[in-house]
Amino acid sequence: MRLKRRFWRRNNAELNCKEVGQVLQAYLDGELEDADAPLVAAHLEDCRLCGLESASYERIKAALAQPMPEGADPEAIDRLRSFGQGLTGD
Amino acid sequence: MAEQETEERDEAAAKARFDEYVLPEVDVMYRVAMSLTRNSADAEDLVQDALLRAYRAIHRFDGRYPRAWLLTILRNAQVNRVRRKRPELLRDPDTTMERVADTSDGGRTAEELVVDMGFDAEVEKAFEGLPDKFREVVVMVDIDGLSYQEAADRIGVPVGTIMSRLHRARKRIKKQLEAAGLGPRESS
Repeated sequence: MRLKRRFWRRNNAELNCKEVGQVLQAYLDGELEDADAPLVAAHLEDCRLCGLESASYERIKAALAQPMPEGADPEAIDRLRSFGQGLTGD
Repeated sequence: MAEQETEERDEAAAKARFDEYVLPEVDVMYRVAMSLTRNSADAEDLVQDALLRAYRAIHRFDGRYPRAWLLTILRNAQVNRVRRKRPELLRDPDTTMERVADTSDGGRTAEELVVDMGFDAEVEKAFEGLPDKFREVVVMVDIDGLSYQEAADRIGVPVGTIMSRLHRARKRIKKQLEAAGLGPRESS
Protein backbone atom coordinates (compact mmCIF):
# COMPACT_ATOMS: atom_id res chain seq x y z
CA MET A 1 0.00 0.00 0.00
CA ARG A 2 1.20 3.50 -0.88
CA LEU A 3 0.97 6.56 1.30
CA LYS A 4 -1.41 9.09 -0.29
CA ARG A 5 -0.41 12.66 0.46
CA ARG A 6 -1.99 16.00 -0.32
CA PHE A 7 0.06 17.73 -3.04
CA TRP A 8 1.02 20.62 -0.76
CA ARG A 9 2.52 18.23 1.75
CA ARG A 10 4.41 16.02 -0.69
CA ASN A 11 7.71 17.80 -0.22
CA ASN A 12 7.44 17.72 3.55
CA ALA A 13 9.62 14.90 4.86
CA GLU A 14 7.63 14.58 8.08
CA LEU A 15 4.17 13.03 8.29
CA ASN A 16 1.44 14.47 10.48
CA CYS A 17 -0.80 12.46 12.81
CA LYS A 18 -3.68 12.32 10.33
CA GLU A 19 -1.47 10.90 7.59
CA VAL A 20 -0.06 8.30 9.95
CA GLY A 21 -3.55 7.37 11.18
CA GLN A 22 -4.59 6.58 7.59
CA VAL A 23 -1.81 4.04 7.09
CA LEU A 24 -1.08 2.81 10.61
CA GLN A 25 -2.88 -0.55 10.21
CA ALA A 26 -1.13 -1.26 6.90
CA TYR A 27 2.19 -0.27 8.47
CA LEU A 28 1.66 -2.67 11.41
CA ASP A 29 0.66 -5.45 9.00
CA GLY A 30 3.80 -4.93 6.92
CA GLU A 31 1.69 -3.86 3.94
CA LEU A 32 3.04 -0.34 3.51
CA GLU A 33 5.50 0.42 0.66
CA ASP A 34 9.14 0.16 1.74
CA ALA A 35 9.71 3.82 0.86
CA ASP A 36 6.87 5.00 3.15
CA ALA A 37 7.44 2.79 6.19
CA PRO A 38 10.47 4.74 7.55
CA LEU A 39 8.41 7.97 7.48
CA VAL A 40 5.73 6.32 9.63
CA ALA A 41 8.35 4.80 11.95
CA ALA A 42 9.95 8.22 12.44
CA HIS A 43 6.61 9.80 13.34
CA LEU A 44 5.77 7.02 15.81
CA GLU A 45 9.06 7.59 17.58
CA ASP A 46 8.50 11.32 17.91
CA CYS A 47 4.76 11.50 18.59
CA ARG A 48 3.73 10.13 21.98
CA LEU A 49 0.03 9.81 21.12
CA CYS A 50 0.56 8.00 17.81
CA GLY A 51 3.24 5.87 19.47
CA LEU A 52 0.76 4.77 22.15
CA GLU A 53 -1.94 4.14 19.55
CA SER A 54 0.46 2.01 17.56
CA ALA A 55 1.65 0.12 20.66
CA SER A 56 -1.89 -0.77 21.66
CA TYR A 57 -2.72 -2.10 18.19
CA GLU A 58 0.51 -4.09 18.23
CA ARG A 59 -0.48 -5.66 21.54
CA ILE A 60 -3.90 -6.52 20.16
CA LYS A 61 -2.32 -8.20 17.15
CA ALA A 62 0.06 -10.15 19.41
CA ALA A 63 -2.80 -11.24 21.69
CA LEU A 64 -4.90 -12.43 18.76
CA ALA A 65 -2.07 -14.63 17.54
CA GLN A 66 -1.82 -16.39 20.93
CA PRO A 67 -3.51 -19.77 21.47
CA MET A 68 -5.19 -20.91 24.75
CA PRO A 69 -2.47 -22.01 27.23
CA GLU A 70 -1.30 -25.55 26.62
CA GLY A 71 -2.81 -28.14 28.95
CA ALA A 72 -5.89 -26.05 29.74
CA ASP A 73 -9.01 -28.07 30.51
CA PRO A 74 -12.10 -26.46 28.90
CA GLU A 75 -14.38 -28.23 31.41
CA ALA A 76 -12.54 -26.61 34.31
CA ILE A 77 -14.26 -23.31 33.53
CA ASP A 78 -17.72 -24.90 33.90
CA ARG A 79 -16.68 -26.53 37.17
CA LEU A 80 -15.33 -23.23 38.49
CA ARG A 81 -18.49 -21.42 37.50
CA SER A 82 -20.54 -24.03 39.41
CA PHE A 83 -18.20 -23.61 42.36
CA GLY A 84 -18.78 -19.83 42.28
CA GLN A 85 -22.53 -20.28 42.03
CA GLY A 86 -22.35 -22.66 44.97
CA LEU A 87 -20.77 -19.93 47.09
CA THR A 88 -23.83 -17.75 46.65
CA GLY A 89 -26.22 -20.66 47.13
CA ASP A 90 -27.51 -20.73 43.51
CA MET B 1 -35.35 -9.51 64.41
CA ALA B 2 -34.20 -6.28 62.75
CA GLU B 3 -30.61 -7.53 62.96
CA GLN B 4 -31.55 -10.73 61.17
CA GLU B 5 -33.29 -8.76 58.41
CA THR B 6 -30.18 -6.58 57.95
CA GLU B 7 -27.99 -9.67 57.72
CA GLU B 8 -30.27 -11.23 55.11
CA ARG B 9 -30.28 -8.00 53.10
CA ASP B 10 -26.47 -7.81 53.22
CA GLU B 11 -26.20 -11.41 52.11
CA ALA B 12 -28.56 -10.86 49.18
CA ALA B 13 -26.58 -7.77 48.13
CA ALA B 14 -23.28 -9.70 48.34
CA LYS B 15 -24.75 -12.49 46.23
CA ALA B 16 -25.99 -10.02 43.58
CA ARG B 17 -22.59 -8.31 43.42
CA PHE B 18 -20.77 -11.62 43.19
CA ASP B 19 -23.04 -12.75 40.33
CA GLU B 20 -22.60 -9.44 38.53
CA TYR B 21 -18.88 -8.81 38.96
CA VAL B 22 -17.18 -12.13 39.65
CA LEU B 23 -18.88 -14.97 37.79
CA PRO B 24 -18.46 -13.42 34.29
CA GLU B 25 -14.69 -13.30 34.91
CA VAL B 26 -14.18 -16.97 35.79
CA ASP B 27 -12.82 -17.87 32.34
CA VAL B 28 -10.29 -15.02 32.43
CA MET B 29 -9.23 -16.03 35.94
CA TYR B 30 -8.66 -19.60 34.85
CA ARG B 31 -6.65 -18.53 31.83
CA VAL B 32 -4.42 -16.32 33.95
CA ALA B 33 -4.11 -19.04 36.59
CA MET B 34 -3.03 -21.50 33.87
CA SER B 35 -0.29 -19.14 32.90
CA LEU B 36 0.87 -18.74 36.50
CA THR B 37 0.77 -22.40 37.47
CA ARG B 38 1.25 -24.15 34.09
CA ASN B 39 -0.93 -26.97 35.35
CA SER B 40 -4.69 -27.35 34.97
CA ALA B 41 -5.34 -28.89 38.41
CA ASP B 42 -3.25 -26.24 40.21
CA ALA B 43 -4.91 -23.51 38.15
CA GLU B 44 -8.35 -24.78 39.15
CA ASP B 45 -7.38 -24.86 42.85
CA LEU B 46 -5.95 -21.37 42.58
CA VAL B 47 -9.13 -19.96 41.00
CA GLN B 48 -11.27 -21.66 43.66
CA ASP B 49 -9.10 -20.06 46.32
CA ALA B 50 -9.42 -16.66 44.62
CA LEU B 51 -13.21 -17.03 44.24
CA LEU B 52 -13.54 -17.71 47.97
CA ARG B 53 -11.42 -14.65 48.77
CA ALA B 54 -13.45 -12.54 46.36
CA TYR B 55 -16.71 -13.68 47.95
CA ARG B 56 -15.46 -12.76 51.41
CA ALA B 57 -14.30 -9.34 50.20
CA ILE B 58 -17.15 -8.49 47.79
CA HIS B 59 -18.81 -6.07 50.25
CA ARG B 60 -15.65 -3.92 50.18
CA PHE B 61 -15.37 -3.85 46.37
CA ASP B 62 -16.41 -0.51 44.82
CA GLY B 63 -17.60 -1.99 41.52
CA ARG B 64 -14.91 -0.37 39.36
CA TYR B 65 -12.74 -2.59 37.12
CA PRO B 66 -13.77 -5.97 38.54
CA ARG B 67 -11.22 -7.81 36.41
CA ALA B 68 -8.29 -5.83 37.77
CA TRP B 69 -9.58 -6.42 41.30
CA LEU B 70 -10.01 -10.16 40.73
CA LEU B 71 -6.61 -10.56 39.11
CA THR B 72 -5.01 -8.85 42.10
CA ILE B 73 -6.78 -11.34 44.38
CA LEU B 74 -5.61 -14.17 42.15
CA ARG B 75 -2.03 -12.97 42.23
CA ASN B 76 -2.10 -12.63 46.04
CA ALA B 77 -3.55 -16.11 46.36
CA GLN B 78 -0.72 -17.41 44.18
CA VAL B 79 1.88 -15.65 46.37
CA ASN B 80 0.43 -17.39 49.43
CA ARG B 81 0.42 -20.75 47.72
CA VAL B 82 4.07 -20.38 46.75
CA ARG B 83 4.86 -19.36 50.34
CA ARG B 84 3.12 -22.46 51.68
CA LYS B 85 5.06 -24.67 49.28
CA ARG B 86 8.34 -22.87 49.98
CA PRO B 87 8.24 -21.90 53.68
CA GLU B 88 11.75 -20.44 53.56
CA LEU B 89 10.18 -17.41 51.83
CA LEU B 90 8.31 -16.62 55.06
CA ARG B 91 11.60 -15.74 56.71
CA ASP B 92 12.25 -13.02 54.19
CA PRO B 93 8.89 -11.64 53.07
CA ASP B 94 10.41 -8.65 51.28
CA THR B 95 11.78 -10.88 48.60
CA THR B 96 8.65 -12.97 48.20
CA MET B 97 7.34 -11.19 45.12
CA GLU B 98 10.75 -11.30 43.50
CA ARG B 99 11.00 -15.02 44.10
CA VAL B 100 7.47 -15.59 42.85
CA ALA B 101 8.52 -13.71 39.74
CA ASP B 102 10.90 -16.58 39.08
CA THR B 103 7.88 -18.72 38.29
CA SER B 104 6.97 -16.51 35.34
CA ASP B 105 8.69 -16.54 31.98
CA GLY B 106 10.56 -14.28 29.62
CA GLY B 107 11.91 -12.15 32.46
CA ARG B 108 8.43 -10.80 33.19
CA THR B 109 7.24 -10.54 36.77
CA ALA B 110 4.17 -12.43 37.94
CA GLU B 111 2.35 -9.11 38.13
CA GLU B 112 3.14 -8.21 34.53
CA LEU B 113 2.14 -11.67 33.45
CA VAL B 114 -1.23 -11.32 35.18
CA VAL B 115 -1.91 -7.96 33.53
CA ASP B 116 -0.90 -9.32 30.13
CA MET B 117 -3.09 -12.36 30.49
CA GLY B 118 -6.03 -10.18 31.48
CA PHE B 119 -5.39 -8.13 28.35
CA ASP B 120 -5.18 -11.24 26.16
CA ALA B 121 -8.38 -12.64 27.60
CA GLU B 122 -10.26 -9.38 26.98
CA VAL B 123 -8.98 -9.31 23.39
CA GLU B 124 -10.27 -12.83 22.92
CA LYS B 125 -13.64 -11.89 24.37
CA ALA B 126 -13.89 -8.83 22.11
CA PHE B 127 -12.82 -10.93 19.12
CA GLU B 128 -15.55 -13.47 19.82
CA GLY B 129 -18.11 -10.67 19.97
CA LEU B 130 -17.22 -9.31 16.51
CA PRO B 131 -19.69 -9.66 13.63
CA ASP B 132 -18.83 -12.67 11.43
CA LYS B 133 -17.53 -10.66 8.48
CA PHE B 134 -15.09 -8.76 10.72
CA ARG B 135 -13.98 -11.86 12.60
CA GLU B 136 -13.32 -13.66 9.33
CA VAL B 137 -10.86 -10.97 8.21
CA VAL B 138 -9.11 -10.87 11.59
CA VAL B 139 -8.66 -14.65 11.47
CA MET B 140 -7.15 -14.48 7.98
CA VAL B 141 -4.74 -11.60 8.63
CA ASP B 142 -3.89 -11.68 12.34
CA ILE B 143 -4.14 -15.39 13.08
CA ASP B 144 -3.40 -17.11 9.75
CA GLY B 145 -0.93 -14.41 8.68
CA LEU B 146 -2.34 -13.85 5.16
CA SER B 147 -1.51 -10.67 3.25
CA TYR B 148 -4.34 -8.28 2.38
CA GLN B 149 -4.27 -9.51 -1.22
CA GLU B 150 -4.40 -13.18 -0.20
CA ALA B 151 -7.29 -12.50 2.17
CA ALA B 152 -9.12 -10.54 -0.55
CA ASP B 153 -8.64 -13.39 -3.04
CA ARG B 154 -9.81 -15.99 -0.56
CA ILE B 155 -13.22 -14.41 0.00
CA GLY B 156 -13.53 -12.57 -3.33
CA VAL B 157 -13.67 -8.94 -2.16
CA PRO B 158 -11.43 -5.93 -3.01
CA VAL B 159 -8.32 -5.30 -0.90
CA GLY B 160 -9.92 -2.05 0.30
CA THR B 161 -12.77 -4.05 1.86
CA ILE B 162 -10.28 -6.21 3.76
CA MET B 163 -8.52 -3.10 5.05
CA SER B 164 -11.69 -1.38 6.12
CA ARG B 165 -13.11 -4.46 7.90
CA LEU B 166 -9.79 -5.08 9.61
CA HIS B 167 -9.53 -1.50 10.78
CA ARG B 168 -13.10 -1.46 12.10
CA ALA B 169 -12.63 -4.83 13.84
CA ARG B 170 -9.47 -3.69 15.60
CA LYS B 171 -11.09 -0.41 16.59
CA ARG B 172 -13.94 -2.31 18.23
CA ILE B 173 -11.50 -4.53 20.11
CA LYS B 174 -9.53 -1.49 21.25
CA LYS B 175 -12.69 0.27 22.44
CA GLN B 176 -13.72 -2.77 24.45
CA LEU B 177 -10.26 -2.92 26.03
CA GLU B 178 -10.49 0.74 27.00
CA ALA B 179 -13.94 0.18 28.49
CA ALA B 180 -12.46 -2.64 30.58
CA GLY B 181 -9.72 -0.33 31.86
CA LEU B 182 -7.07 -1.96 29.67
CA GLY B 183 -6.19 0.97 27.46
CA PRO B 184 -2.71 1.75 26.12
CA ARG B 185 0.20 1.86 28.53
CA GLU B 186 3.37 3.91 28.27
CA SER B 187 5.52 0.82 28.32
CA SER B 188 4.85 -2.85 27.76
